[in-house]
Amino acid sequence: MSPPAIRLEHLGKRYGRVTALRDVSLEVVPGEVFGFLGLNGAGKTTTIRIMLDLVRPTGGRASIFDLDCQLHGLDVRARIGYLPGEPGFYPDMTGEATLDLLGALAGQRVDRARQTRLLDRLGLAASDVRRPLREYSTGMKRKLGIVQAFQADPPLLVLDEPTEGLDPLMQDSFYELLAEARERGRTVFMSSHVLPEVERVCDRIGLLRGGELVLCSPVQEVRSLAGRRVRVTFGADVAPPASWPDGCEIATLSPRTWDLRVHGALGPVVSLLTTRPIADLDVQVPHLEEVLKKYYANAPVS
Amino acid sequence: MRSSAIVLAVHSVRRMRGVLIGIALVVGGFQFLLTQVAAFLLRRGGFGLISSFIPDFMQNVAGPSMLAFTSFAGVVAFGYFHPMVIATHVGLAIAIATEPAAEVETRFADLALARAVARHEVITRTLLVLVWSELVMLLVMMLSTWTGLACCTPSDTPRPGAATIRSLAILLGAIAFCWGGIALAVAARVRRRATASGGVAVAALAAFLIDYLARVWDPAKPVARFSPFHYFEPMSLVAGGQLQGRDVGVMLVVGLAGTAAGYLIFARRDL
Repeated sequence: MSPPAIRLEHLGKRYGRVTALRDVSLEVVPGEVFGFLGLNGAGKTTTIRIMLDLVRPTGGRASIFDLDCQLHGLDVRARIGYLPGEPGFYPDMTGEATLDLLGALAGQRVDRARQTRLLDRLGLAASDVRRPLREYSTGMKRKLGIVQAFQADPPLLVLDEPTEGLDPLMQDSFYELLAEARERGRTVFMSSHVLPEVERVCDRIGLLRGGELVLCSPVQEVRSLAGRRVRVTFGADVAPPASWPDGCEIATLSPRTWDLRVHGALGPVVSLLTTRPIADLDVQVPHLEEVLKKYYANAPVS
Repeated sequence: MRSSAIVLAVHSVRRMRGVLIGIALVVGGFQFLLTQVAAFLLRRGGFGLISSFIPDFMQNVAGPSMLAFTSFAGVVAFGYFHPMVIATHVGLAIAIATEPAAEVETRFADLALARAVARHEVITRTLLVLVWSELVMLLVMMLSTWTGLACCTPSDTPRPGAATIRSLAILLGAIAFCWGGIALAVAARVRRRATASGGVAVAALAAFLIDYLARVWDPAKPVARFSPFHYFEPMSLVAGGQLQGRDVGVMLVVGLAGTAAGYLIFARRDL
């Protein structure tokens, strides 16, 4: 059995009296796309920086492919492609020189053909990469950041807010790159504020609040926490039943329209409706956002 | 495969090449100019005139340092201990040694150290660039002095010996390395280059002034021992003395201690 790509065990980090991370434990399996969520200051970047050994934990441990991030930092980082939230590129260097320098530092020969393909996919022309970075827009710098993270095709990609500043078309190109990386068995650990993005690309999510991991589940399961919205429209007036199936909450009821929220299977609700004159049935799958906003707000999730 | 320290060093030198070339031209040009000034004064009998203008008590106070202004060899050697030249070398050393703080500040350190690059390689890079740059500057200065003496001064002039020039260069290199090491230790700890370079520059100026004060005011002498400039004694070399290994040793040890502290602090800190 292959070791987890990422394992955090009771990870903690204090800055003086401020606790940035408290007892965070999670595992990410190889080939998984894991979304790491939380409000600003929740501890996402601190966790990522501990994994990269840029910050030392005050408690617990982090390991990548069974290698301790602090004891075997070099081996760990040789397996990671990292996109920082704010890449510290030198404005006087060209994109090409930046990619060459970062490639040389990685100690791996960069596959030029792969690099060129990545640049093409993200819409960075050869003339763009020959310009100094001070002439780049925020989006272009982000694209260059993505290329430098992907160019060595590492087994683990750690991406901090990867689509920040990208236009919708480039976001789609990035999602395609991510999907291809997953197909090749690469693991992706990404922090994001963009919940529809997380919903679209991630298999599982972890949610940090105030330095604590308050949720770690597959995206499907998290969605189901909110329950599906079911709106039933009847052709004639109907009376509500004497009892409702388990997991069925009533939002609003009128003689010809029922608005329900259903947690779990829809079967019992459908059975209940078969004897009634249904004119229309609308089932809405809940969005991740509905659940996560409640978590963000520290509210109980129904 | 080149080590990351070399890759980073080449990158640093490439980024600084304009500044390095500019400084090399200025310090080299200054050395050449001094040889021509010395030759001019010699031709016009200016050294005797200068001596006659300076009162006896001032000559007594100045001691052997009078040689710097009243002899051909002294004027030629003056470029190795002129306050502006010292400030240029120390300033360059501080600027180079504070690069780790600049990289933390600009977050380039995140990009570099998120790869298979050990933290000590960042410090090794800084040390390599510091030593290399200082050697280049000193070589340019010595080359300029030699060129000025060889091409444009009478061959029978009593010139400063090659050993004297070499010793002066070693002394200047040692004081620059000393402050570079101190700056490296500070830069390994802080998050902003301005904090490191500003703090160390102010400390260097204070140390220079304390040493200067101690030379004319005895009560300041005990404190002056803590100033690296106390061990920077070029005048005795101009007067024909030998390079004091102890003085050079003190400056190099301070520089090395700062470098060692830099390795230790940078390895342990949060970036």
